[in-house]
Amino acid sequence: MDLILDGFATALTPENLLFAALGVLLGTAVGVLPGIGPAMTLALLLPVTYSVGADSAIIMFAGIYYGGMYGGSTTSILLNTPGESSSVITAIEGNKMAKAGRAAQALATAAIGSFVAGSIATVLLWIVTPWVADIVVTLGSPSYFALMVLALFAVTAVLGSSKLRGFIALFLGLAVGLVGTSTGQARLTFGQPLLADGIDIVVVAVALFAIGEALWVAAHLRRKPLEIIPVGQPWMSKDDWRRSWKPWLRGTAFGFPFGALPAGGAELPTFLSYATEKRLTRHPEEFGKGAIEGVAGPEAANNASAAGTLVPLLALGLPTTATAAIMLVALQGYGFQTGPTLMDDHPDLVWGLLASLFVANALLLVLNLPMAPLWAKLLRIPRPYLYAGILFFASLGAYSVNFQAFDLALLLVIGTLGFFMRRFGIPVLPLIIGVILGPKLEEQLTTALQISEGDVSTLWSEPVAVVVYVVIALVLVAMTAAGLRRPAESTPTPADDKEMIER
Amino acid sequence: MSTPSNPGNPGNPGTTGSVVVAYSADRYGETAVAHAAEQARKEGARLVVVNATLGSSLVDNRFAHDADIAALHDRLTAEGLEVVVRHDVVNDVADAVVAAADEEQASLIVVGIRHRSPVGKLLLGSVAQKIILTAHCPVLAVKPSS
Amino acid sequence: MSVPTTTPTTRPPRPVVDKAQYGLAGFLVLAGGYVLLDAAGLHDGFADQPVQPYTLPYVVGAGLVLFGILLAVATARGDRPEAEEGEDIDLTQGTDVRTVGLLALVLIANIALIDLLGWAITGALLFAGAAIVLGSRNWIRDIAVGVALSVGSWYFFYVVLGVPIPAGILDGVL
Repeated sequence: MDLILDGFATALTPENLLFAALGVLLGTAVGVLPGIGPAMTLALLLPVTYSVGADSAIIMFAGIYYGGMYGGSTTSILLNTPGESSSVITAIEGNKMAKAGRAAQALATAAIGSFVAGSIATVLLWIVTPWVADIVVTLGSPSYFALMVLALFAVTAVLGSSKLRGFIALFLGLAVGLVGTSTGQARLTFGQPLLADGIDIVVVAVALFAIGEALWVAAHLRRKPLEIIPVGQPWMSKDDWRRSWKPWLRGTAFGFPFGALPAGGAELPTFLSYATEKRLTRHPEEFGKGAIEGVAGPEAANNASAAGTLVPLLALGLPTTATAAIMLVALQGYGFQTGPTLMDDHPDLVWGLLASLFVANALLLVLNLPMAPLWAKLLRIPRPYLYAGILFFASLGAYSVNFQAFDLALLLVIGTLGFFMRRFGIPVLPLIIGVILGPKLEEQLTTALQISEGDVSTLWSEPVAVVVYVVIALVLVAMTAAGLRRPAESTPTPADDKEMIER
Repeated sequence: MSTPSNPGNPGNPGTTGSVVVAYSADRYGETAVAHAAEQARKEGARLVVVNATLGSSLVDNRFAHDADIAALHDRLTAEGLEVVVRHDVVNDVADAVVAAADEEQASLIVVGIRHRSPVGKLLLGSVAQKIILTAHCPVLAVKPSS
Repeated sequence: MSVPTTTPTTRPPRPVVDKAQYGLAGFLVLAGGYVLLDAAGLHDGFADQPVQPYTLPYVVGAGLVLFGILLAVATARGDRPEAEEGEDIDLTQGTDVRTVGLLALVLIANIALIDLLGWAITGALLFAGAAIVLGSRNWIRDIAVGVALSVGSWYFFYVVLGVPIPAGILDGVL
C-alpha cells in the first residue's frame, strides 16, 4: 500500500503530471493521425527522452500508450478506418452508430468504457504484477530462459496469420541482434568498427516503425478523401449508460487476462467480447446496424488488454506488443536491468509508472471528452507534410544517437527492409522482439550453463522449464497437424471476420 | 475516377451552353449553387457542378460525400434543370473548374468567395482568385448573406 | 499485426505465383548463408564461456536458410503475401515505385551531405524534398516549414536538451 502511495507521490509531482498530460495529448493526436501509431511515436521520441528523467519519460510513454488507443478508436468510429487490429471490432458497430447519427454516443461509450476498463485493469496490475514478479524471481536461469523462448515463440507463432512469416521476422531480428562484439569476438560486423557495439536498437526501431512505414504508405497513398462523420460533444443518455456498463465490465474481464499472457494481443479478447455482447444483448436487432454494446465491450477489452501487457513487461521483462517492446528499449536505455528484479531494484520507478497509468487514464477522460471535435480537425493535415515530418524526425532521431552519418545509412537500409517486410506481409513485431531478446537469451543461457558448469541437461532440470517446453511442443504439434491438413492455404483466423467490414 | 454522373447528354438539342459552378460542401458552395441554378434556368443552360479535391489530406470537408452529391443532383434535376456533376480527385481544383468550363463551353462560372485572414492569404492560395484570373468566360463571385 | 488485404473474391483455379517472393526467399538464404559463413570464422570462446560465440549464429543462420527454402516452396505452391493495410493505404492500386525511389534519393542526399552541410541545412532539404516528392506543390511554403523545423530542432537540442548537433558549414553561425 505504501508503495502505491509513493507511486502516486511520484506521479503527481507537477513535472510528471505535465509529462503525463503531454503524453496523453500526443498519444491521442498520433492515434487520430493516419499512418502514425503509438509504437512509431515512442520510437521517434526515444533519443529525445534520454535527456529527461527516467520516471518522467516512462510516465509520458504510458500516457502515449493509453492516448494512442483512445485516438485510434475515435478514427475507427468516425471514419471506419481501424488503424490497428485492436480497433477493428470497434469499427464494426461504432461506424454504423455514427452513420445513424449516434457518433456522440459511440465516442462517449468508447471513452468512458476505456476509462472504466483502464482503471480496473490498472488496479489489477497493482495486485498481479508484484505477485508474478515474486514468483518469477525465485525461478532459476533455466526456467527464465524457457520463459523467454516461450515469449518469442508466442509472439511469433500465435499472433499473426502466417507462422512462416512470423519465424522469418524473428530470425531476421535475432540475426540483427548478433551484430557486435558482446562475446569478445566480432560477429557480423562486416569489418566495420562502427558496428562493434552492435546496431543501436533505437536506429532499428525508428527504421522499422517510421521509415519503413512512411515509405510503404508513400507507395500506396490513398487518393480519394474519406467521408468523415461530423461530430459534436460526446454524451450518453441514461438508456445508453444502462446498456453500456455491463459490456464494459465483461470486456475488461476478457481483455486483462489475454493482455497479461505472453501470447496476448487485443485481437482475440475484443472479438470474444463482441461475440458475447451479441449473444447477451436485449437488442439483437441492432447488431450490425450500430449497437452500443458492440462498441462498449470491445473498447473496454482493448484497453484492459493493453494494460495487461504491462504484466509480462514489468514482471518478466518480456514485451508482447510493439509499444511494450519500445518501452523496454527505453528502460534498458536508462540502464535498468529489466526482468523480475526490476520491481525490487527500482520500486520508485515501477510504482510511479503504475500510479501514473491511473492518472493518465483520468486525464484522458477529462481532456478528451470535450476535445473530440478538435481531434477530428487533425485529419485535415496535408499528408505530404505528415509523412515528410515522419522522415524528418526519424532521421533526426537516428542521427542524434551518435551524430554519425553511418547511422543514417543503417536507418535507410533497415527502413528498406521494413518496406519490403510490409510488402511481403512479414510482421514487424517478432523482428523487433528478436533484436531485443536475442542477446538476453544468449546471456541467460550462458548464466544457466555457467552455474551447471556446462551441463546442458540443466536446461530441463526445473519443473517450470519442463512445463513451458511441453506447452511449446504441444502448440508446435497442433500447428504442424493443422498445417498438414490444409497445405498452401492461408490459415483462417479471426481475420476472416475483418474482411466483412466494408471499406 | 469518373465524371459526369449524368451520361448521354452532350449535344442535347434542348439546351444551349452551360453554367459551371465550383461547389464546396459548405454554405459558400450552397450559395454558389443557388445562384448558378438561377442563372442556368434563366438562360436555359445546362448546370455543371464541379466538386473537386486534391486528395492531399485524409479528410477534406469541402469535398462532398457521395450520397450528398447524389442528393444535390436529384434535387436540382427535380427543379427541372439539366445537371452534370463532376466529382473528382484532381491536381488543382481551380484548373479543374476552368477545364470543365472550357469543355462544356460555359457561358459563366459561379464561385463562392469567403473572407480570409492575412495569415491565410499568405499561406494558402485562393481557388476563387485563380479561377477568376484564368477563366475564359465571365466569372460570377457570390457570397452568403451574413 | 497486419490486417489482411481484400484478396480477389474469385480465386483463379491455378495458383498465381508471386514471383517477387522468390527474391525474398533468395535474400533469406543468402543472409542465412552469410551468418553461417561468419560463424565459421569464429574461434572457441574463453574457458568461462560455456556458450560458444558461434553457437547462436549457427542456429540463426541455419534457421534463415531453412525458412528461405520453405518460403520458396510455399511460393511455388501458390502462397501469396498479405501486404500490410493501414488507415492511409489504398492497396487497390499498384506500388508507386517512383515516389518511393525519389524518397530514398532524398534520404541518401541527406546522408551524403549531412557531414558537410550540417543538420540545420540538410534537415530542411530533407523535409522540403520529401514533401515535394509526396505531392506538395507550394515550394516556398515547403522550404519555409523545413527550415523552421530543422533550425528549431537544432536549437531545441542545443538549448533544452543541452546537446549540440554538429553544425557543419554553419559552425559559428547558429
